[in-house]
Amino acid sequence: MLEIKAFSAGYQGNDVVHDVSFHVETGEAVMIIGSNGSGKTTLFRAMCGLLGASSGEVLFNRDDLAGMPAQRIVRLGMGFVPAERHLFPRMTVQEHLSLGAYPKRPDPETMSIVLDLFPRLAERRRQRAGTMSGGEQQMLAVGRALMSRPRLLVLDEPTTGLAPKLAVEAYEALGVLRDQGLTLLVAEQQVPLAMAFSDRGYVLENGQIQIQGTSEELAKNPEVRRAYLGVM
Amino acid sequence: MTAVILDGIVLGLQFGLLAVGLTLVYGLGGVLNLAYGQMAVAAAIVVALAMDAGLSAGVAVGVGLLAGGLFGLLLDATLLRPVYRLRGEAQILLSLLLTLGVAFIVDGLLTWQLPLEALTLNIGGGAVEIFGVPMRRGSLWASGITVAAFVALFFFFRSTMLGRAVRSIIQDEEGARLVGIDPNRMRTMILVSSGVLAALVAVTRSMSIPVTVTSGISFTIFALIVTVVGGLGSVAGAFFAGLLLGIINTISSFYIGTFLTLIILLSAAALTILIRPSGLLGVAE
Repeated sequence: MLEIKAFSAGYQGNDVVHDVSFHVETGEAVMIIGSNGSGKTTLFRAMCGLLGASSGEVLFNRDDLAGMPAQRIVRLGMGFVPAERHLFPRMTVQEHLSLGAYPKRPDPETMSIVLDLFPRLAERRRQRAGTMSGGEQQMLAVGRALMSRPRLLVLDEPTTGLAPKLAVEAYEALGVLRDQGLTLLVAEQQVPLAMAFSDRGYVLENGQIQIQGTSEELAKNPEVRRAYLGVM
Repeated sequence: MTAVILDGIVLGLQFGLLAVGLTLVYGLGGVLNLAYGQMAVAAAIVVALAMDAGLSAGVAVGVGLLAGGLFGLLLDATLLRPVYRLRGEAQILLSLLLTLGVAFIVDGLLTWQLPLEALTLNIGGGAVEIFGVPMRRGSLWASGITVAAFVALFFFFRSTMLGRAVRSIIQDEEGARLVGIDPNRMRTMILVSSGVLAALVAVTRSMSIPVTVTSGISFTIFALIVTVVGGLGSVAGAFFAGLLLGIINTISSFYIGTFLTLIILLSAAALTILIRPSGLLGVAE
């Protein structure tokens, strides 16, 4: 579904991500793990068209997304939930979900899927995003992205700013989406949570993929255990 | 006193509508358009010329609104492109310098080529009595059109997909792009709308007093004051601030004098910046 080839990107000519290649197959849940500053966010932002890429290919189904602006990429079926969420503070839950379907009218079936997944949002349809808690905002950001019926959902650190219990709940919701057949790509620092959720993963350090494998393989890898799972 | 307040409301509605075109462009593109008043005047002069050429007032106004929209489109497609790419102070400064230049050019061209041209739309018929006060029909027409424009604007922003899309860009441009909204197309649409609004205000204004080739600067200043008081990027703020300042304006010109009135209005803006920098209904950044 998604294939990234020799991809480099960064800010004003200084590449943060160097020559990265990875792929996501239909129906898979794939994680990219790495410490703070490893380049995960830069990689995702460039891939999703919020930041210019300097070289390489981003093949999504039959399209090369490299250099395409975010607003076109979304319409091709790749949804992105950034770590900072980028909600509209003075708009209600309802308005966010309607806009999620832009430029189409919101599809009632998709709407009920989202509200079933996040019953909190159903209770708070008229509440403005700016007055909601971190956990609710995260649900709303995911809900808004789901309204466009993406084929691939990309999430950058979905647990940012969430208390541990809410972080677990966030991954439970993502697990439901995975079991419904949605393809997911997640960048995460909270490695144990992401590992339990994903089929495969890549370790990104200093802007390069250092290790890759299935989640079981990564869980056994001594370097991964030492650096990310807190095992000496 | 009732008469003064009613006049203030008539003027205030126009102030408000004038400010909407300025405040939306600022909210959406970070552009403070100092040529805004000149857009209004240019459109008014187009209407006047069209009527000189023998077109009926209705058709001429249509042509004028179109001209206002085209002015906006032209600005968006040419000078403002580099402004959109900048952020923060650099963006504001470049927009101020470029649009100030446009204002000078338009003012210069008009006073050079058509120094005596002006638009006056005479609405015939006698005065109509409202709350015991005889009101000119021109003022009533102007107010009716302005209120209708506000109703249309509120409906557009509250209830249409496109209106929501515009608001979403004002609130979080990146979030808007992530739901598939193209900010450039929305900005173009808003620049065109602001040109049409400027033209509409000039037309309604000319139902009370002549709009001349040198009216541009005062349009811009009034729009700026209302925008500062109402809050940048807020249509409702522009509406209420417009009404408030319109009433203050007529009361103070009636009881104090026209010269001091502008100072009083500017003081209102200064006071707002001191006490509530985000304006009446603006949102603190």
